[in-house]
Amino acid sequence: MKARAHIGRRAAAAALALAAAAALAGAAHAQSSLGIGANEATLPSGGLFAHILNWVNAEQQRFYRALSGALKSMRDGGGGLWLLIGLSFAYGVFHAAGPGHGKAVISSYMIANEVALRRGVVLSFASALLQGLSAIVLIGGVYLVLRGTSLSMTDAARFLEASSYALVAGFGAWLLWRKAGRRLIALARTAPALAAAEAAGMPGATSALFEATDDAADGRDGGMRAPGRSGRYVVADCSHPRLTADRVCAECGRSHAPDPAMLSDEAFDLRAAWIAIAAVGIRPCTGALIVLSFALLNGLVFGGIVSVLAMSLGTAITVSILATLAVTAKNWATALSGGKSGWFHAAIEIAGAALVFLLGAFMLAASLSA
Amino acid sequence: MTPSGAAAHPHVFAEATLEVAVAPDHVVRSLGHVWRFDDLFSATVVMEFDKNRDLKLDEQELAEVGRTIHESLADFDYFQMVTADGDEVAMKAPERLIVAYEGEQLVIMFESEPAKPLKLAGKVDFGIYDPTFFTAIDFVSDDMMMVRGLPADCRRAVIRPDPDEAIAQNQQTLTEAFFNDPLGTDYSKIFATRLELDCGGGK
Repeated sequence: MKARAHIGRRAAAAALALAAAAALAGAAHAQSSLGIGANEATLPSGGLFAHILNWVNAEQQRFYRALSGALKSMRDGGGGLWLLIGLSFAYGVFHAAGPGHGKAVISSYMIANEVALRRGVVLSFASALLQGLSAIVLIGGVYLVLRGTSLSMTDAARFLEASSYALVAGFGAWLLWRKAGRRLIALARTAPALAAAEAAGMPGATSALFEATDDAADGRDGGMRAPGRSGRYVVADCSHPRLTADRVCAECGRSHAPDPAMLSDEAFDLRAAWIAIAAVGIRPCTGALIVLSFALLNGLVFGGIVSVLAMSLGTAITVSILATLAVTAKNWATALSGGKSGWFHAAIEIAGAALVFLLGAFMLAASLSA
Repeated sequence: MTPSGAAAHPHVFAEATLEVAVAPDHVVRSLGHVWRFDDLFSATVVMEFDKNRDLKLDEQELAEVGRTIHESLADFDYFQMVTADGDEVAMKAPERLIVAYEGEQLVIMFESEPAKPLKLAGKVDFGIYDPTFFTAIDFVSDDMMMVRGLPADCRRAVIRPDPDEAIAQNQQTLTEAFFNDPLGTDYSKIFATRLELDCGGGK
C-alpha cells in the first residue's frame, strides 16, 4: 500500500517536473519572426493533445479569417456588426483554448491557493477583460500619441508583455514564499533540536521528521517515530507546551492554531487576486491589437472595440473552464492521497506556486532576450 | 510530445508566390518570392511605421519596413527550407527586400540564391514557411509555386502535408526533436507546403 503510494507520488513529482521543463522549452520566440508585432510565447503540448490542439488551431484560424472578412466588408460599407461580434467571441473561445501563459498562470494560482471556484471564474473574467482594455488603451495611445514618435507599437506591446511576465514571476515568487518558505523556516527551527537529538545518540531523528509527514499522509498522524528501529521512541510529541510566536509548533513544524496572518486571509486573497488579474491582463493579445489597428484606420472604432470585448468574453469562458478543470483535478488527487493534511496536497500547492514563478521568469527571459 | 510550434497559431497571413529559376544546365539560379500580407496586419504596419502621421506609408517609411523585416527574417533563413535529397541547402541572404503598399496590402518581394551552386538531381524540395508559426504563408493554388526553365527530365509537384497525418507520421521524430532540441523549430517543416522537383538520379 505504502509502496504503491510512493510510486504514485514519484510519478506525480515526475509529471510536475516535466510540466516545468516543458514550460521552459516553450518560452522561446516571444519576438515575432517579421520583427513587427509580438509573437505569443506558447507552452508546448503533450502528444495526446496534439490532435485536439491542431483542431483548435484550425478552427481559430478559420474564425480569424472570417473575422477579418467581416471587418473588411464593414469597411466596404456592408453591415454585419453582430456577425463581427459572434466571430470575435468564437475566436476568443478558441484562441484561449490553445496553449498560452494566461490560463496557465490563473490555473496554477488556483491550484496553489485554496480559491473558491466562483472566485476563480471571476478572476478569469476580470483578467480577460483587462487584457481587452489594455489592447484598446494601447492602440488608442499609439494612434493619438505615439504615432510619429520613435516609440513604436511593437516596443509598447513588448514593454507591457515584459511587465506582465515580471509581475507573474514576482507573484509566483511571493506565492512560493507563502507556500514553501514558511515550511522551510519551520524545518530550520526544528533542525537544531534534531541535530542535538542526533548528537545525543538518537540516530534517525531527522529522517523521523520526514517519516512523520508520510505517516500523516497515510492518515496515521501521531507521535514521531524513528523508522526501522525496534524501540519506538518519541522525538517530539505534539502536546505543544510552547508555541512559537507565529503559532507554529516548532517540534512538528505544523501550525496548530490559526496564525495571525490567516485571519486576514480574506484581505490577502483579494490582494493576491488583483495582482493575478493585473499580471495576466496588462499584456494585450496580438490578435486584438491587429483587429483594433485595422478598425481604427478604417473608421470602425466602435466595431473594433466591441469585437475586442467579445474576444475577451470568449477568452474568459475558456479560461474559466480550464481553471475549473485544474482545480477539480487537484481536489480529486488530494482526496485520493489522504486529504489536505498530507504532504501531497502541500506539494501540489508548492508546485503550483513554483510553476507560476517559472512561467513568469522564463517568459520574461525570453521576452527580454528577443 | 508535440512541441510548442504545432499549437502556436499565426497572427499574420500572407498569400505567396514562389518562382524557382533553373538554368539549362540544371543549376538553380534563384528563388523569387512575393508575399502579399492580409489587410489587418498591413494596417498594423501602417500604425507602426507612419512617422509623418499621414496614415499612408511613403517611400521612406516603406524602406524602414523593409529594413526591419529583412533584419528579422535573417534569423529565420528568410522562411526558406531547401533540401537536396533530404540534406539542407544553405541559402545566401537576399541583398534587400522590396516593399510596396498596394491597395490595402503590404507586399514584400525578394530574390535569393543558393550559397553554393545547386544542381538539380534526385529530389530537391523548396519549403516556404515561418518556423515560428507567426505568419501563415499560403500558396493559394499549386500554380503559385512556379518553375522557370524546368528541365525536361524533371517532374514538378506541390506537396501539402495534412497536419494530422504529419503529426502521426512524425510522432517518433517529433519526440526526439523535442528532447534533443527543445528550443528548436525544426519540426515546423513537416507542416509546410513545399515544391518538389524530382529529376531522377541523386544519391
